[in-house]
Amino acid sequence: MATSVAVAKPKRGGRWSPWLFALPALAVYVAFLVYPALSSLWFSLTNWDGLSATYKFVGLDNYFKLPQDPVVVTAVKNNLIWTVVTIAVPTVIGLLLAIALNGKVHGKPILRLIFYTPAVLPLVSIASIWGWLYNPQYGAINSFLRLIGLDGLAQAWLGQDSTALWAVMVPAIWLRTGFPMLLYLAALQGIPNELYEAATVDGATKWQQFWHVTMPSLRPAHYIVLALSLIDSFKVFDMIYAMTYGGPGTSTQVMGTWMYFNVFQYYQAGYGTAIAVVITLVAIAVGIPYVRSQTREAS
Amino acid sequence: MTTIAPAQVTAPAQAAATEPISSGPKGRRGLVMTLVLAVIALFWISPLALLVITAVRPLSDFIGNGPLSWPDQLTWSNFKDAWGIGNFATTYKNSAILAAIKVPLGVLVSAMLGFALAKLRMKFRRTVMFSVFLGLTIPIYITIVPVFIMMRQAGATDSIFGLIGPYLAFGIPFEVLVLQSFFRQLPDEIIEAARVDGAGDWRVFFTIILPLSVPALVTVAILDAVATWNEFLFALILLNSDAHKTIPVGLLNFQGQFANNNTGLAAGILIAVVPILIAYTLLQRWIVGGLTAGSLKG
Repeated sequence: MATSVAVAKPKRGGRWSPWLFALPALAVYVAFLVYPALSSLWFSLTNWDGLSATYKFVGLDNYFKLPQDPVVVTAVKNNLIWTVVTIAVPTVIGLLLAIALNGKVHGKPILRLIFYTPAVLPLVSIASIWGWLYNPQYGAINSFLRLIGLDGLAQAWLGQDSTALWAVMVPAIWLRTGFPMLLYLAALQGIPNELYEAATVDGATKWQQFWHVTMPSLRPAHYIVLALSLIDSFKVFDMIYAMTYGGPGTSTQVMGTWMYFNVFQYYQAGYGTAIAVVITLVAIAVGIPYVRSQTREAS
Repeated sequence: MTTIAPAQVTAPAQAAATEPISSGPKGRRGLVMTLVLAVIALFWISPLALLVITAVRPLSDFIGNGPLSWPDQLTWSNFKDAWGIGNFATTYKNSAILAAIKVPLGVLVSAMLGFALAKLRMKFRRTVMFSVFLGLTIPIYITIVPVFIMMRQAGATDSIFGLIGPYLAFGIPFEVLVLQSFFRQLPDEIIEAARVDGAGDWRVFFTIILPLSVPALVTVAILDAVATWNEFLFALILLNSDAHKTIPVGLLNFQGQFANNNTGLAAGILIAVVPILIAYTLLQRWIVGGLTAGSLKG
């Protein structure tokens, strides 16, 4: 498509002119993101408590301690469950909603509006809303179960190890379904009708059309949804913090919250940052293909 | 920041353009599908609907009839109580000031960087691009300890102004990603023509690039405002006193205080989310368009 040369020829302003435009953003980015992230690498090699003026360099000790920390083991497991469930479920629901909305349906704009609404709410308010719905005595969820005669299922959803993490994932799914739905909807609208007509002529059933026309056409959308969901899922903090505070006990701790507790509750800043470094490295490793694809596309 | 949804913006508003593809008899099937979707949508929105119903009834009515009943009595007093105790006048003001400073500033510096990356011959362009986009993957919590120390040394803890730097830094990757891809689509000929007329880079940027990019700038500004309004972690660690809290941190406090007052809690949550819901409803064209349009060109 690109008929003209992508990069304008340098005319005026000299070779440093682009850097004047780049400087403010780069300065802020380096000062408040790159530099802090790198200094966390250093803190993770110390025994700093977060308060004292002095601390000792301890090498990789903090990292060796990680596997022996039972909460880290729980947190890793929870992060994994969180990642799989809060990616798979919203993606599938989002795709199904998009397909349904792409058909002959009335009131599309309002339906789309409703399904995306949770995504614009502050995570803390979502946590508040669902904490309130989960309230064992006065919450709507238990009331509903009692109403339909399932009294036995009414329970303290957020207050017991067996259900707490799942109970937090439900609002996360609620919140994260809107984005895949929007992307898939836009992608579906971009599939040329001729593909379906040709498939129909060839005698393909609806089911075959879905797998052989729709799904392959959605590949770019799958990629973006998956990449962004993956990146996002490692950042989980707000929901856990605001809904369960890592509890009951430590059963819903994830790496992000356990890092926070170590730094600000137990005064183990060195150890806490080591936790953050590990999950950040994983997040970067997972995110790099996406970042590269975006950089390539732009060049 | 909660919203990361990089996508190239071409122009919003074209999201719902083309006609649907399904074939078969229109009326009956469409109606059934609409009905099914309406039921799901009702279910989807029920947490918010329940919140509204609960917020406008007295606590005794709520406890007496249960959360799923229709209220016998209506009242506004929950909102009055929640507004006062939740300190919402203050947290609203703080969040609004913060967004009013941070969002335009963030969009401006990101647009400048995006312009340099898209339209100026810049050395190490791909390296800069890669490094900035990589910021999308960095979780906020890796930076909180050094940022906290930095702000304490600068005397900027417990002030919303201390949040501006970190918020800008974490907003830049997304904003630059979207804006530079939009700038790239602007024809070079216009810029060339202006250059021939003697315009320098700055004039090109302010008189050509920015005016032509209003849709992208608005979309980015809106998404950034939502992320700023909702940010929690930095605000949690940097702000201590009630006088300086933003909406999300204030709401969390409020939630603790109102644990046993269900109707007051519902009113407080609503107070915190209603502006963003209104803004979303009014501006959804831009949000939806910005999130999706052009992002799927393969």
